[in-house]
Amino acid sequence: MLLKLAWRNIWRNKRRSFIVLISVVVGLAAIVLTDGLSNGMMSQMLFNQINLDVSHLQIHKNGFDRNKIVKNFIPDYKHVESTLQTNPEVEAYSKRVFATGILSSASNSSGVIIYGINPDEESKVSIVKSSIINGKYLGSGKREIIIGKKLAEKLGVEVGDKIVAMSNTLKGDIGSDAFRIIGIFQTSSSGFDKMTVYVQALTEQEMLGIGDNYHEFAVIAKDYTKINLVKNNVETKLGSDYEVFTYRDLLPMLIYQMELYKESMMILNVIIGLALIFGIINTMLMSVFERIREFGVLMAIGMKNSRLYLMIIFEAFILGIFGTFVGLICGLLLDIPLAHSGINLSIFATGLESFGVGAVIYPVLSIGNLINAVLFMPFVAVIGALYPAYKAIKLEPIYAINYV
Amino acid sequence: MEILKAENLVKIYQDNGVPVNALMDINLTISKGEYVVIAGPSGSGKTTLLNLLGALDKPTKGKVYFETENITLKEKKELSKIRLHKLGFIFQAYNLIPVLTAIENIEFSMMLLGIPDKVRKEKALELMDELGIKELANKRPNEMSGGQQQRVAVARAIVNNPSLVLADEPTANLDSVTAGHLLDLMEQMNSEKNITFIFSSHDKQVIDRAKRLIILKDGRIENQ
Repeated sequence: MLLKLAWRNIWRNKRRSFIVLISVVVGLAAIVLTDGLSNGMMSQMLFNQINLDVSHLQIHKNGFDRNKIVKNFIPDYKHVESTLQTNPEVEAYSKRVFATGILSSASNSSGVIIYGINPDEESKVSIVKSSIINGKYLGSGKREIIIGKKLAEKLGVEVGDKIVAMSNTLKGDIGSDAFRIIGIFQTSSSGFDKMTVYVQALTEQEMLGIGDNYHEFAVIAKDYTKINLVKNNVETKLGSDYEVFTYRDLLPMLIYQMELYKESMMILNVIIGLALIFGIINTMLMSVFERIREFGVLMAIGMKNSRLYLMIIFEAFILGIFGTFVGLICGLLLDIPLAHSGINLSIFATGLESFGVGAVIYPVLSIGNLINAVLFMPFVAVIGALYPAYKAIKLEPIYAINYV
Repeated sequence: MEILKAENLVKIYQDNGVPVNALMDINLTISKGEYVVIAGPSGSGKTTLLNLLGALDKPTKGKVYFETENITLKEKKELSKIRLHKLGFIFQAYNLIPVLTAIENIEFSMMLLGIPDKVRKEKALELMDELGIKELANKRPNEMSGGQQQRVAVARAIVNNPSLVLADEPTANLDSVTAGHLLDLMEQMNSEKNITFIFSSHDKQVIDRAKRLIILKDGRIENQ
């Protein structure tokens, strides 16, 4: 009956309750939307990095990550390859030759990372193939090269043009080769597009004089959340001559940034919650002051303070639950279509690309965040009602009954 | 059997820092089953005395004994328990809970006692039938006349079988015919259920029907 009374009390002043409800709905919808957007942005940043060149797991010769020089190639790449082939959690891998060097056109030159790849393997671990915007992906041609759009702009070259790549060889000489540009790619990261080129692995191995060796294995796991299991398994099998890194080890700044972002979202949610709390306090106080006489009667007929307190808390809680329900629906109605179509922020494209995020953000709803939001709002509503309820039970029955 | 006793009761209010003597040295004993009217002109202290006797207010000096127990120094929680179990209140302005129907208003105090839903519904309907207001069961206060509301208020006051019902100017907002019917009802409850009634009123009809009359003047008992 107390719940029934609380429910009816809510609707005795529909306009006031509606205002509280709207504020809870807007607050929750805002939380769901901003959480979705920030999640989407963070996920995109992470998955873009993973899909560009980081992958889920990288395997190198021990010490390569600290000192990326030509001679630090993997001691026995066939052993690594067989280890990966027998691991059921591994979806795909790509062997890479790695070198830093200079790429020169007729008009300009630029420092680059030259990846030597087996095109079919690489297409299974990165999105470079699907990012070709002009020309085509690497085929079987020995002197083919694909470069990023930003780099092409800097060098003043286009598909079909010739360029020269130079890098230190294993012997310490300068090795160079001429390539023909067969494709230009554009990814969501302008930095990557400016710095990265791909050639055939065989060509780069010859240029660097490293035989048939590779510097890096890029691995994609079937389930990236189990990547630590894969890492431990691979590490154990390969031994100490190798270093195995997950994307979390390779992208510490991004992971830190994501954690920071999560915390800042929490702070934002708390700010939204605080604003709501004051709104609810104000409304519930009005509601309490309007009913002082009624509370006096309830006290006179023997209602205990604890029940009176509970009744007012119930009112706020019901509003919170109701607002949460409607807010959740509104938030999802906004979020779900956007999760498919994305939000086009192309006016900020340059800035977003420098962060490794595309111009279109796809909100990502996390069940954890939704649960938090759903629990958060009724909690906020109850917090907002504590003081008004306290004011109500502090009334003296005689004062309350005679209140005009 | 003595149900209520007031001993040297004094109530002094502060009105903007000026002390106002509302009640002075009241001594009073009420026995079980009495039908008492406290009368007197406006400002004589009728409502103040009723509030003190009903444990709604505390005296400045003196003691109130309810069923031989001194209730003057009791905590808010204990007083609330006494009001719930032993007392019933009827107010001048009816004071029904506006969002509850008549039957729910009557059930409310039973709910506070923890009586199960089905039992309290049955009991409320039975009482409403007895008071001739069964047809009002599902009406809200704003759908009832003053007289109907006050009958529901009477039902609410007596549904928990209190030892004592305190009625503050219960007929003040009613026409004389309706007031007469209401008084009949309370007299009936007094004689049939042996419920003690204490009224505060300056309504002649109420005073005329008093089995015991206490007249207050300037905060003192003039005649009892």
